[in-house]
Amino acid sequence: MTSLPGAVSPTLSVSSKEALVSVAQEPDSRMPAPAADDAERLRLLDDPQEWSAFSQPEKGQDGCWASSVVFEGMHCAACAITLEDALRQVPGVQSVQVSSASHRGRVVWSAGHTRPSTWMQAVRQAGYRALPANDAQAHERRRQEARRMVWRVAVAGLCMMQVMMYATPEYVSGPEDMADDMRSLLRWASWVLSLPVMLFSCKPFLASAWHDLRRRQISMDLPVALGMVVTFVVSTLGTFEPEGPFGAEVYFDSLTMFVFFLLTGRWLELRLRDRTAGALEAVLNRLPDSVRRRTASGDWERVSIRRLAVGDVIEVAAGEAFAGDGRILEGHTQVDEALLTGESRPLGRSVGEGVIAGSHNLAAPVVVRIEQVGAATRYAQIVALMESAATAKPAMAQMVDRLARPFLITVLIASLGAALWWWPSSPAHALMVAVAVLVVTCPCALSLATPAAMLATAGALARGGVLVRRLQALQSLAAVDTLVFDKTGTLTRDAFTLAAVHLREGMDEDQALQRAAALARHSLHPVSRALWAQARQRAELAGQDAMAALQAWQVQGLEERAGQGLQAQSMAAVPEGPAPDSPLAGAAPKPAGEGPWRLGSAAFCQAPARATAHLQVHLADARGWVASFELQEEVRPEAARVMRQLQDLGLQLQVLSGDAPAAVQQVAAAVGIEAARGGCVPQDKLDAVRALQARGHVVGMVGDGLNDGPVLAGADVSFALGQAVPLAQAKSDFVLIGGELGAVVDTVLRSRHTLRIVHQNLAWSLAYNAACIPLAVLGYLPAWAAGLGMALSSLLVVLNALRLSGAAPLGAGQAATPIQLTR
Amino acid sequence: MDILYLLIPLSVGLVFFILGGLWWAIHRGQFEDIEAEGERILRND
Repeated sequence: MTSLPGAVSPTLSVSSKEALVSVAQEPDSRMPAPAADDAERLRLLDDPQEWSAFSQPEKGQDGCWASSVVFEGMHCAACAITLEDALRQVPGVQSVQVSSASHRGRVVWSAGHTRPSTWMQAVRQAGYRALPANDAQAHERRRQEARRMVWRVAVAGLCMMQVMMYATPEYVSGPEDMADDMRSLLRWASWVLSLPVMLFSCKPFLASAWHDLRRRQISMDLPVALGMVVTFVVSTLGTFEPEGPFGAEVYFDSLTMFVFFLLTGRWLELRLRDRTAGALEAVLNRLPDSVRRRTASGDWERVSIRRLAVGDVIEVAAGEAFAGDGRILEGHTQVDEALLTGESRPLGRSVGEGVIAGSHNLAAPVVVRIEQVGAATRYAQIVALMESAATAKPAMAQMVDRLARPFLITVLIASLGAALWWWPSSPAHALMVAVAVLVVTCPCALSLATPAAMLATAGALARGGVLVRRLQALQSLAAVDTLVFDKTGTLTRDAFTLAAVHLREGMDEDQALQRAAALARHSLHPVSRALWAQARQRAELAGQDAMAALQAWQVQGLEERAGQGLQAQSMAAVPEGPAPDSPLAGAAPKPAGEGPWRLGSAAFCQAPARATAHLQVHLADARGWVASFELQEEVRPEAARVMRQLQDLGLQLQVLSGDAPAAVQQVAAAVGIEAARGGCVPQDKLDAVRALQARGHVVGMVGDGLNDGPVLAGADVSFALGQAVPLAQAKSDFVLIGGELGAVVDTVLRSRHTLRIVHQNLAWSLAYNAACIPLAVLGYLPAWAAGLGMALSSLLVVLNALRLSGAAPLGAGQAATPIQLTR
Repeated sequence: MDILYLLIPLSVGLVFFILGGLWWAIHRGQFEDIEAEGERILRND
């Protein structure tokens, strides 16, 4: 490191003012209020302590920093170029690299000329969002690892080709064709080129074998490493001491080729793993990046989340996520803790009760005292869990690993036996037979068979918007014969449409809806949001005046009563435009009628009973009931087609829902499912799934992740539609990030395909090992052929698995998300 | 054939030279984003 943070800070303090000015001007002149808040958040990053979290001093350039950022909104290679252009135009940005594959970038900027907020604002204006990559270190480590691997493969490949050239004359020439000194020159050249392969490219195998030896364990790298070392030693002795006990034979060509093929297999495996890990990371960045903290003087300041310490008091607005585990000091709200506890309903939280990081504050602003931050929070632990799920080994791979140990011991004994048997006739031959046995039996292919296939599928699915949380689930999914669907949010959209309105005499429908919407817009309840959306939609159709009229409604004395509804003391239409207190204010506020106004359940609003399959919400004023709104769920347009495709795949489909039976039947009929049951509480659903399992069915569950925690866990395989509640995703095996039902078909097809490939791979590698071990022990298989065979069988397995990462078998996933080439 | 005594050591040197070039390319990240570079040529700016 050439420049320490301390060394650059004097220049920073001078120029940071300029940067603040330039950023502050822009939002004020051009951007509305939310953008100003956004700029404030960005400005937080203009602190050396903040930016050093995602930046490193650029080597060789004084005062320059290299920042890692994640870009949101990128979807193609052209976006990468647009972003690079936008960033390059910012004065002070030295160089930019944006990767379209990983949606990440590296920005080198000069601390003397610009600040992170400035160039992040430029990204904003280009239509994207730049986020500091807080996992920059993990990502950087993976990138370094990948580079080193490519480099190892390149060294092995190039040296292999050249060594092969030097070996060719020996193969093609007759016994007397070549002079001795020419032969030894070729061997010497081969030896020189084998050195980097042995010392550098083989390092992963040698290191891993050495590590296992020291821990008195045995792994598949041990016979491979042993084979490499023995071959190299024998060949080296053959080169420099042709008269020695091991003869004049050299095997540099076998050695380098064998290493190259083996490394290629490892490299492909590494790429698959990184691809899946990258997809996971994108989902995991869920904590807010800044919070409003109370200062010692009692003011509020916005600070970055990393500045947060235990004991701080912060304010969390409705809709924000909590930044740390803590306890509420002021206010009463509802929180969504679905990710962390599996409790999917909003939970009431008031003064003195605890909240957890990563959960969402749904209802009202609260003041929270922080008790845990960073890695100590439960959120961090769950994230760690999700990450480990991606690297966990599927059961079939575990079985192979268990078999590997006795198998490897047998191999070592067999090769030792073979060496002892051949030793009296020729020690060199004996050693090469032993090497052949070691190499040919390496169960690499066997241990690659399952994870390679499953990782390839997981990677392909991740690109299609399906996250695989548990590789094992792919195996179970291939066996699933019954799929159970939840209704709300799964077969239907989250949104409701207004089906019918019933009114008190003398009331106009639009008036009623406007008043209801005026109340509803203050609540986050799905029904309220639906009412508000409906009213807005109507007003938009009616034109600008209607919109202004709708926006003008204001309520006073609003309170939300859990489980009942909303109540406002009074409601009035305040004309839009000049502020109400200015002299220009036009018409006086028009009261809507006598308060209190209520919006909510039938009992809360004293509404007359009405039999209907739809969801109802009622409006009441001081004189009692005013109107009832019937809301209808909208069936997803693709649902019927998807159900038909699933039935064609031989799956039985069912609907289990907590809704009214009539509504459930209606939706089930609309999408073509016969078996439907309504009125289920979560326990009923779980019982139904258990009953199916008891009858020998393998059950998959598809839910929105809101109300299905226990069922999702109880089913053999579970899907969650990740559109509505991102944090509820943790419970299920698969998360459909795009919220497209069609992805289920794609996933089922892919899982079946995966299992077929896994079986092929296992069969191939078992047959290969069974056929080759006897040949090698009997001395019929030379070491080079053993190396080739082994590497080819590993490569075959990996390539077979790579077939899975191609296009969707049915094209379903691609039809749903067209690939955009231009913006 | 005596020229081989020069050419073979030379070829060894050449391999190391090419390896050096590869090292440079890999560590400059030239193999990490292949798509974007291909599309850059299609842009008319």
